Amino acid sequence: MKTKNIIIFSIISSFFLVSLISIWKILVTLQGIKLENFNFQIIFLLGFLISLAHVIIGNKLNYILKLIIFSLIFIFIDGYLIQSMPIWYNIGVFLILYFFINKIKKFNNKILEEEHSTQIIIFDFLTLFGIVLFSFVILFPFYMMVVTSFKTQIALLVNPLDFSINFAQGFKDLFKSYFVIFKSYKFGKYILTSTIVSLGTVFITLVFAIPAAYAIARLNFFGKTFLSTSILIIYMFPAIVLVIPLYTVFSQLGLRNSIEGLLIVYTATTLPVAIYMLQGYFKSIPKELEEAAILDKLSWFGIITKIIIPLSIPAISSVALYVFMIAWNEFLFSLMFLDNPNSFTLSRAIQYLSGDAETPRQYLMAGSVIVTLPVLFIFVYFEKYLVSGLTAGSVKG
Amino acid sequence: MSNIKFSNVHKSFGQNKIINNFNLEGKEDEFLVLVGPSGCGKSTLLRMIAGLEKVDKGKIQINDKIINELHPSKRETAMVFQSYALYPHMNVYENMSFGLKIEKQSKEEIQTKVLRAAKILKIEELLERRPKQLSGGQRQRVAIGRAITRNPKIFLFDEPLSNLDAALRAEMRVEISKLHQQIKTNMIYVTHDQVEAMTLADRIVILNEGNIEQVGTPEEIYSDPANIFVAQFIGTPKMNILEIDEKDIKSEKIIKVLGNELTIKNVKLEKRKHFIGIRPEHLKISNETKFKFSPEIDIIENLGNEKIVYMKKDNHQLSAKISSGSEIGNSFGFDLQNIFIFNENGKRIKS
Repeated sequence: MKTKNIIIFSIISSFFLVSLISIWKILVTLQGIKLENFNFQIIFLLGFLISLAHVIIGNKLNYILKLIIFSLIFIFIDGYLIQSMPIWYNIGVFLILYFFINKIKKFNNKILEEEHSTQIIIFDFLTLFGIVLFSFVILFPFYMMVVTSFKTQIALLVNPLDFSINFAQGFKDLFKSYFVIFKSYKFGKYILTSTIVSLGTVFITLVFAIPAAYAIARLNFFGKTFLSTSILIIYMFPAIVLVIPLYTVFSQLGLRNSIEGLLIVYTATTLPVAIYMLQGYFKSIPKELEEAAILDKLSWFGIITKIIIPLSIPAISSVALYVFMIAWNEFLFSLMFLDNPNSFTLSRAIQYLSGDAETPRQYLMAGSVIVTLPVLFIFVYFEKYLVSGLTAGSVKG
Repeated sequence: MSNIKFSNVHKSFGQNKIINNFNLEGKEDEFLVLVGPSGCGKSTLLRMIAGLEKVDKGKIQINDKIINELHPSKRETAMVFQSYALYPHMNVYENMSFGLKIEKQSKEEIQTKVLRAAKILKIEELLERRPKQLSGGQRQRVAIGRAITRNPKIFLFDEPLSNLDAALRAEMRVEISKLHQQIKTNMIYVTHDQVEAMTLADRIVILNEGNIEQVGTPEEIYSDPANIFVAQFIGTPKMNILEIDEKDIKSEKIIKVLGNELTIKNVKLEKRKHFIGIRPEHLKISNETKFKFSPEIDIIENLGNEKIVYMKKDNHQLSAKISSGSEIGNSFGFDLQNIFIFNENGKRIKS
């Protein structure tokens, strides 16, 4: 049992080490270093031997001493014997090994003797593997975006595949693209427009969605079930179907190229889901609370503002966040309805820039970073509300 | 100082008739307990008084004023909910003062009222806390406190103790009883717990399927039940009901029960099926009783201070409650004054 566990542990952990080192090697090639061979077999063998040695040596050797010896052996073979590597590459390898040995530290003799330890090992490394792999897949495009935005036109033309950041060029040159897009491309105005449109959509949606959701959740009126289901049916229409009729209507009403027009469309598209999410949450609020409020001489309006809204802050903030993200990232309607650069939103502006052959790529990327960052920060900050709001509403959705 | 009067009240939900021609007149400042099995319409009655349910037909009066169409807030009633219904986003003080604040009373006035209620319920040190930080008993106290601050003419309690554990329930029962002595106001209390009904009530209203089975003081309900339902509803274990065939009705005054022929005065028994009721605590093992029978004993439950004996005699299942010190032989007895006779429809035949 124990030998089996040790072998499984060594194989899985060396797989994990191979994936870590491979990601590092991919990043290194992007920095312009030419690798003759990835040498998976040798890394795998090394990882296997390190894991095995880790279990066999156990506590006979000091942890830090063990760490340094293992890392140095690995670096000596990988970064010196096979192919001579620059010092920063080897420091990176050392950090990866430090992380790796730290992870396998808890798998000592004692744990490997236990019967269910194979499961622990598999699940532990599967989680780690998933986190490392998917975060790489998701973060890499973002990394590319940021790196490109920090480059000069010449550097991009010389080597488009070079993904290193040249920090030597100084602060002003590094952020040159950002200065340019704000100065010559009026990105400040686009940000303002996008902010107004997004916050406006959030506000209008909530003003309509809260009473509507309350009515569906609590009041009994004729056609209630029809109304509540038809709300979701509206959501089933693909936006592209609505665009052309709306275009003609908006042209005649003079709503094209106006913030008001966008507000109307965005509110209409976000309202169904907002109502659906809120009514699920409202239903989960005990009815007795409202009855107590009625006995406390509160009117319907008072019940909504003083009882329902304070209790639904999680749901309302998650709806607000959802609506904000939809409105901020929305592209199709802004593409159709806005053709005057003065009324562009951010996403429309980037499309406008990319349609222009003259616009350098680094400016586009700087613009994309600016579009992404606010949503990213808002999302990270409000994430806790979003999660609690969604789950709380889903219980009786 | 107030009283409540129901005249011919009807209520139905869709096809379901919940309350059917309900008539009741409350006395001034009395503690009225509505008790019955679940689904008997007792909570609906309470909610109709509070104004949370509409009255279909008939009228409800408080101090001779019809309140059917009055908005809930104008009825001068206060309700204590089973689930407390405290506002989770307000602290205890805000919870208790919320109604007064909406009435736009002055700050000083609100403070004196809240503090007075807090003092009555001994929750002065909890005023800053949120409902989440309170135990079940404390929450119930706050809910009652909120009712007190409204200074209502009628207090309505909707199974207020059913969410508490047994020890706390007994404690709160005493508290509510004291509260009624302290603030002499009409209280209407809904429960399905017969112990709460017996201990708290000035008068008990026993309901079944929307109809009143009996109204009376706890003593009347216990010693003078109107029918089998009431007789079995009050008392644990419930009253033994023995089915008596027409051949056991020996004459107009003589009936054969458990092998004994009883002579009953002032009645005229018909040659029909009858029911005899006898409470478990009235079946005794001493030799002083007039009538005796020897049953087959099934199980004896020892509760410490008393024993419950389950037994069988001539196809009749019986239970008896005796003190735990006594030895159980094979002979049980009963007396004539503890016998209740019901006709075949379950109605009591008084002697």
